[in-house]
Amino acid sequence: MSFELMLALSPVLIVVLGGAALMLVEAMSTKKPDVDESASSEIALGTAMTLLAGAVAALGVWFYGPENLPSAAALAPYFVLDRFTLFFTFVLCFGGALAALLAGGYLPEHRLDRGEFYPLLTFSVVGAIALAAAADLLSLFVALETMSLGVYCLTGFRRGSTRSTEAAVKYFLLGSFAAALTVYGVALIYGATGHTDLAGIKSVIRAFSANAGDPAVSSRLAVLIVGMVLVIAGLGFKISAVPFHMWTPDAYEGAPTPATSFMAVSVKAAAFAMLLRVLIGGFSDPASMSWSAGWPPVLAAFAVLTMTVANVVAGRQESVKRMLAYSSIAHAGYLLVGVVATVRSSADGQGSVLFYLLTYTFSTAGAFGALVLCGSRGKEAVTFEDLAGIGKRHPAAAAVFSLFLLSLAGVPPTAGFFGKLYVVKAALGSELYVLTIVLLLNSVIAAYYYLRVLVYMYMKEPMAGAPIAVPMKSGYVAAALVLAAMAIIGIGLLPGSSLEMAIKAALS
Amino acid sequence: MFAIGAVGFLLRRNLLVLLMSIELMLNAVNLTLVAFNRVHPHNHAGQIFAFFIIVVAAAEAAIGLAIVLSFFRVRKTVRSDDADLLRNWP
Repeated sequence: MSFELMLALSPVLIVVLGGAALMLVEAMSTKKPDVDESASSEIALGTAMTLLAGAVAALGVWFYGPENLPSAAALAPYFVLDRFTLFFTFVLCFGGALAALLAGGYLPEHRLDRGEFYPLLTFSVVGAIALAAAADLLSLFVALETMSLGVYCLTGFRRGSTRSTEAAVKYFLLGSFAAALTVYGVALIYGATGHTDLAGIKSVIRAFSANAGDPAVSSRLAVLIVGMVLVIAGLGFKISAVPFHMWTPDAYEGAPTPATSFMAVSVKAAAFAMLLRVLIGGFSDPASMSWSAGWPPVLAAFAVLTMTVANVVAGRQESVKRMLAYSSIAHAGYLLVGVVATVRSSADGQGSVLFYLLTYTFSTAGAFGALVLCGSRGKEAVTFEDLAGIGKRHPAAAAVFSLFLLSLAGVPPTAGFFGKLYVVKAALGSELYVLTIVLLLNSVIAAYYYLRVLVYMYMKEPMAGAPIAVPMKSGYVAAALVLAAMAIIGIGLLPGSSLEMAIKAALS
Repeated sequence: MFAIGAVGFLLRRNLLVLLMSIELMLNAVNLTLVAFNRVHPHNHAGQIFAFFIIVVAAAEAAIGLAIVLSFFRVRKTVRSDDADLLRNWP
């Protein structure tokens, strides 16, 4: 393995080797979870450091320039090292690191202090990076499963809890059903085209549309279209687009909150990376991108349904965690608008999706982190009522929660505002006026339920005798929140450079 | 075979049968891939893909059984209808 290849792969190598080393440390540890106060907190810190180091290495390779590392092309198309991959490596590692820090505070607090959480998290991040880098349907499927299997276990981590195991059962069954659909679609696409790499598939589809009248071609085209429908349905499950979203609120609510944060942030970002790779890499010829016969109308319909249904339902939730779950579905809808905008101007559409994912990562991880902070053992913050009056009793916790919610709602000058702004700009540039109007209307609906939390925190008093949430004290959670808050304010004040990077990262 | 698996997944209510249905679907994919490899004999991509799916299916079955087991320990049931604590669809 040449030095150049090692350098190009350094972000992934750091995360893989760090994860393996931490797993050994955890196995050799003499601390007992039932005896020691915080048996696995060093591992939490180590995991967060490893993942942050991976993110920094991704930045390093980015500035060195992946085009200066030609030997990395040896791994293509199974593992493509381009700016797209590096951008997602940064986002995914950061999301994973924030989840690890949250877990470092959450797991000891709720007597779940078992060290296997962290290797599962780290190797899920590795799967997610591989998913963003896969330009071949074979490695895409393997990476998808690597990521998902880890997350299924994280969802059911609270083994003694009925809700956590139920969430894991639902997530596992629907997730593997979706994976089976996807891979059947992949098999049909392979049958129709003879290729599993996306570039080869694209060239064969081009040849199909060149001699469209041939009966042999039209029968293959039928198989191809069925395969494509199955793949898009499977991807819809993973990004939790309506009507494939039924598992999302249950899985998000039942999972331990740091795992929920990881699912909402990194898993969703990786799923969007996969969606962009498949659509732009394999199906970006004029025929499959046309509004009459291709994927744009399907995804546009998904986007409208996802935004509207999720926002309407989110407004009716009593549980804040479930509300945040529906809100993350709604954000998938906004992101789909950006994906549809790639039809007209590929770079702008992708840039807006990537930038939105960056801002969404920090806002959502922060919001779930603030929810972790607001509760302690036996006094968890779950419903709106639990948060009543917390603005007076614990102003710092309420203030950071408000910041993240305002960013999710898209209020300037937070990062979330610029994320929405660029998606709207890309959509207007592609003349998607209907989608833009739906998006803006939905942002107004969304503001209602985000502000409802603020109203409860600052303007209501808890009812007499009602259980009140007591914030926990943890340096790990505080560190995660400070990191996320700094990123949101930083991007909100100076969005230029990160947006430039997002546009540079777009696939050609 | 894929259709049997998919219909089984959607209609049956026993978690273990659901797991078996998923395995059936993945095996159908394997058969499809190997059969299509006869049509595209210039390389063995289809057959190699089938090997990867077998490996992934084994891992998935292990995790799936573990999750169903932990569900059974807490709830003493393997019926998917009983997994209804988290449902408050309005």
